[in-house]
Parts: sequence; structure tokens; C-alpha cells
Amino acid sequence: MDILKQIITLIIFPGGLFLFVLGLVYTWINRKLIARLQNRVGPRWFQPLADIAKLLTKEEIVPGEGNAVLFIGLPIVALAGVLTAALYVPIAGLPPAFSFPGDLIAALYLLGLLTLCTGLAGTNPPGRYSLVGVTRTLTQFFSYEAPFLLALIGPAIVTESWQIGEIVASTGGRWLVLTQPVTFIIALVALMGKLEMPPFDAPEAETEIVAGALTEYSGRGLALFYLGRNVELVVGLALIAALYLGGFANPLAFFAKTLALLVLIAFTEVLVTRLRIDQTVGLWWRYGTLLAVIQLVVIVIGRSFFP
Amino acid sequence: MQPQKTEQFTVPIGPQHPALKEPSSFLISVDGEVVTNAIVRLGYAHRGIEKATESRTYVQNLYLLERICGICSHIHGTAFAMGVERLAGVEVPPRAQAIRLIIAELERIHSHMLWLGVGAHQGGFDALFMFSWRDRETVMDLLESISGNRVNYSANVLGGVKFDLTAAHIGDILKALDYLEERTHHYLKVVTTDASFLQRTRGIGTMTRHQAEVLGAIGPTARASGVLRDVRIEAPYGAYVDHPVTTITDDRGDLEARFAVRIKELFESYRLIREVLDDLPPGDIKTRVKRKIPEGEAAFRVEAPRGELFYFIKSDGTDIPSRVKVRTPTICNMTSVVKLAVGHQLADVPMILAGIDPCFSCNDRMVRVNRNNGSDGWTWEQLRQHGIEYYKQRSQDYDPLVVG
Repeated sequence: MDILKQIITLIIFPGGLFLFVLGLVYTWINRKLIARLQNRVGPRWFQPLADIAKLLTKEEIVPGEGNAVLFIGLPIVALAGVLTAALYVPIAGLPPAFSFPGDLIAALYLLGLLTLCTGLAGTNPPGRYSLVGVTRTLTQFFSYEAPFLLALIGPAIVTESWQIGEIVASTGGRWLVLTQPVTFIIALVALMGKLEMPPFDAPEAETEIVAGALTEYSGRGLALFYLGRNVELVVGLALIAALYLGGFANPLAFFAKTLALLVLIAFTEVLVTRLRIDQTVGLWWRYGTLLAVIQLVVIVIGRSFFP
Repeated sequence: MQPQKTEQFTVPIGPQHPALKEPSSFLISVDGEVVTNAIVRLGYAHRGIEKATESRTYVQNLYLLERICGICSHIHGTAFAMGVERLAGVEVPPRAQAIRLIIAELERIHSHMLWLGVGAHQGGFDALFMFSWRDRETVMDLLESISGNRVNYSANVLGGVKFDLTAAHIGDILKALDYLEERTHHYLKVVTTDASFLQRTRGIGTMTRHQAEVLGAIGPTARASGVLRDVRIEAPYGAYVDHPVTTITDDRGDLEARFAVRIKELFESYRLIREVLDDLPPGDIKTRVKRKIPEGEAAFRVEAPRGELFYFIKSDGTDIPSRVKVRTPTICNMTSVVKLAVGHQLADVPMILAGIDPCFSCNDRMVRVNRNNGSDGWTWEQLRQHGIEYYKQRSQDYDPLVVG
């Protein structure tokens, strides 16, 4: 019975299938919002699903050069990483499916796996177009990953726990965004960078290098990468909402809070011009990381003086 | 530590590439993200239009030449028609000239709005792209209601224009101009104040006044570098003689200046259309032009939305021209792109390219130089053999391929 329950947790709810559906729905909401804000009609509700279904039915061309096992394996690892990370995050208002002390750090690294796999995929085999994309993907990865980590460590320090479930429980519904607004914004913007959304879409800018690191991918591999990105959107939003917006009392709160964050993201995507890669790096290291560190120092000092 | 000698990494963009809307080839050498060299190869959309004019009558050619460019079709027709009228010695009625001016300025509005969207899209500011193209529909609808077509309006006939402007048309135009003017003020504010957009345009692709003169830049691209080069002022034609244009120039020469100049030119177009509509001369809209054009040569210059457009027409006394030569503005500005791209980031190249408002299909011409050395060009078979050798050198062997 216990095994059956675990299998359901992994494959159907809240992991696996449920996350796929949620990822596609959230992606659609994002695309539709952007379209409406830009005075366009936007896609119909099944468009993200249709995109994935189309890619899955297409032939996957494995390049002759390069490692075929790696080529096929990387998208699977990327998706698996994101799905595993989801298990430690409270999805749909339920407590995390699995939990251990320090799972916050594990989840953050698992979320980074998608970008790392994208980077590796672009160098196997090394093509001209994908190499330019890889350079940008990894440069961007190294610029937002540190502030993203720092931003999510803030709540952990306040609640003195490295376990996502415990952090959420001990905030007891308090909105940490009120006390740590800077790191909240940094976390949200870094999530956009992770997902290569505009204005951080230089690694796959369609007017410059088009597909970026995933140039060689066509069928199933591309679909899995896209799916991974869709799921990461949900997991990232859930993580930020759980840590900063006072956790989720019920499924309704989950949807309300994550969707509110999605609207914020959509507005930013529409309003800001794409940043060049040097501007992205400058933004994160000059302002993002610095502000996050200052915020952390303030928290640490504040806690030692007013425990 | 010895400085490492890096191998040159070249990113080929084109001839076929999803980022290009028209075929052309750019070989961009980069060192990391910085462009070290750029080579442009044109000629992938050569359509043989100049040759085709030599087997069509003047009237037929009018419609053929309009199709050189989908965006500035009217100005091509105007340049050709005015050249032929000069050869035929025909005086075009003032009302026809005024209508030609109005259509040309409406076309300029439509072209600049289109460019604003493309420029914003290249920089990754899609909201501005979508909104400027939405407002461009206003002027497209206007042109459709006047001429019946959204592009290729066919307003010109030899000796005048095809249709008259009714009172209803004039009312529509004035109403649309008010709306567009309000929107244009907003766009000018956006491109000159939006911090994130300025990051991508200010100080990027700066062309000094000297460079613009040396590289032979024309049109709004040259005017953004402070070079006053506008055929409407240098050699006024048609109704521009009576309705002078004030040229907008900018001394900064960067992408921001090109955005500002083009948007400010929109205000000038609005003013000019209102001025001409205010005292639209009465009378006929066309005169008769004989089918056979007297022998002679005529060169005619007009100001297309992208810059100077040049037409050379040679007549041998029949109803078919013996030579028509067209030079579109893009070819003059193309050298500046290659020059300006060096030293910038790869991400800036699409914006620098879009900054000149390129139209690849318009500019592709073929010139054969006769050097009197007995060479008689290549036969089809020789050309085919050369192609096979060329691709073999690039390690692509198409020899075993059987076509058909």
C-alpha cells in the first residue's frame, strides 16, 4: 500500500503527470498574458500541449559527431532533475512529498540541472550556432545562480532551518516579502533568468542566434527540454511563493499566489528590452549579488542584536 | 604567460537563416561576443527585373517596377513615371503631382512605422514592435481605401495618377493623421526615455559625420549622422517644389539618433500632407502620353523612405525602353553596416543592420564589366561546374546527387 502511494506521488500527483499539466497551463497563461499586454490575440489553451505533442511525434535526428548517449540522455536528466526538485517543494498547497534536513540546497541544485544540461547539450557536438548559445547560457548561469541561492537563503537564516517544509511551517503564514523585499525581487528576476524568459533571453534570441544551445535538437529531446522548462516555471514559482509569500494554507492559496507572481513576471517580460549578455552579467554582479549580500548581512546582524 | 593566439571563430548568418527575413549572407567573425570582422554577400534575391523591363512596354513596366519593393512601391513607380514624362516632354497636372506627394508621404509613414517595429523587435522590445505595427494598420487602411490595395497601390500612370482624392478621403486622412500624430509623440517619448531600450541604442553603431560622407550613406541613416542629404531638398521634384520639406538631422549618429530622426520625420510627413491637402489644386489628374517615347536618356532621383532612389531610363524611340537602371538606397548604406559592426557585440549586429532599414531583395543587381579581353562570360555548363568545385572546396560534395 505504501509503495503504491509512493508510486502515485511520483508519477501522478503531485509529481509527474500533474506537474506536466500544471507546467503547460502556466506556460499558456504566461504566453496569453504577454500576448494580451502586447495587443495580440495570443495562443489557444492547448497550444503548449500541441507544441510538445508535435515535437514528440517528430523524428529525432542524432548528429553523427558527438556522443549519442549523451545527446539522448541529457534532456532526460534535465527533466528528471526538475521533477525531483518538485518533490521537495510544496505543490498545490500540500506539504512537500519528501523532505530531509537541507533539502532546500538540494532542490536549488536540482533546479540548476536544467541549465547545466542545456549547456552540455550545446557542446555535443559543438556547432557554430549552438556554441554561441552555450557561451551565453553558461555565462548567464554563472551570473544569476549566486544571487538566486543567496536570495533563497534569506528565509532559511530567519527561520534557522534548511528544510523547505520546516521553513514554511515556521513562518506560520507571515509574509517574509515584507521584511525581505530586496531578496524577493532578486529571486523572482533570477527565476526569469533561469527560464531564459525575456529580457534574459539572449541565449536564444530569435533575431540573433535563434535556437541557441538547443540548435541540434529536433524531436523528443527538444520536447523534453521544453517540458522541463515548463515544469521549472511552476516549481520555481511555488518555491518563491512558499518562502516569501507565507506558504500555502490550501490549494486555492497556492494558485492565487503563484499566479500573482506569474502576472508580475509577464509584466516585466513585456516592459523590458532584451539585455545583452554583458549587461546581464553586469546587472547581476554589480547590483543583484551585492544587494542580496547586503540584505543577508542586515538579516544576520539584525538577528544577533534582536533575537 | 604568452598571449594565446585564438583561432578566428566565424558565425555564418545566411544565405538562409531563420533570423533573416530576406536572403543575404553575413560572415561575422567573433572573439567571444565581440565582432572582429564582418563580411556581407548580397545577390541571393536577384530577380532580373532590369532585364525584364527591356521586353515590356512603358505602361507594363510601371507595374513591374512597383514590385521591386513591397514597402516603397509607390516611389519606384513615381521615379519611373517622372523619368518617362521628362523624356516625353509632358507636363503633369498640379493636382496629380499633389496626389503623388500625398501617397508618397503616406507611404513614408507606413515604411517608418514598419521600421520602428522591426528595429524594436531586433533589440528584443516586442511590445513596441506590436504596438507600432498595430498603429501602422491605420495608414495601411487609409491607402487601401484610397487605392484599393494595401501595398503596390499603382497610383501612378504615365502622365498623372489613376484616382482622385474625394472629400471623404480627405476627411479620413486628416482624422487618421490626428490619431497617428498622438501615437507618434508617444513612440518618440519611448525611444528617447525608456532606460532599458536606450541601453541597446545609445552609443551603439555610432557613425560620425565624416564616416557617413565617406561611406556614402544616404537617407535617414545619413541624416542621423548630421549629413543633410535629402533629394526632396537638394533637387525638389513634383509637388515638393511648392511644398518645401524641412529636414530633420541629428548629430549623434548612433542608433538612438536613427530612431529619433525617423520618428521626427513622421511629424514632417504629417505636416506636409496637411499642407498639401489644405490647398489641393483643382483640375485634371492626368494628361495623355504617347505610346512611343522619343529617343533620349533621362536620370531621375527621388527620396524613398530609405533614402535616395535613382532611375536611369534610355529610350530608343519605341514603346519599349532599351535600358532601365535602378539603384535602391540599401546598397549605398550596406557598407556602413559592415564598418560599424566591428568592435560591437554580436547582439548589436542585428540592430545595426536594422538601423539602415535594409531591403535586400530591392538592392540586388548584376553588373557585368566588359574588359575587352575576349572573355565572353560563362556558359551554363561552366557555371554549373564552378558551383560543384566551389562546394567541393567547402567539403560538401553534391556530385553523386542525381537531380530530377
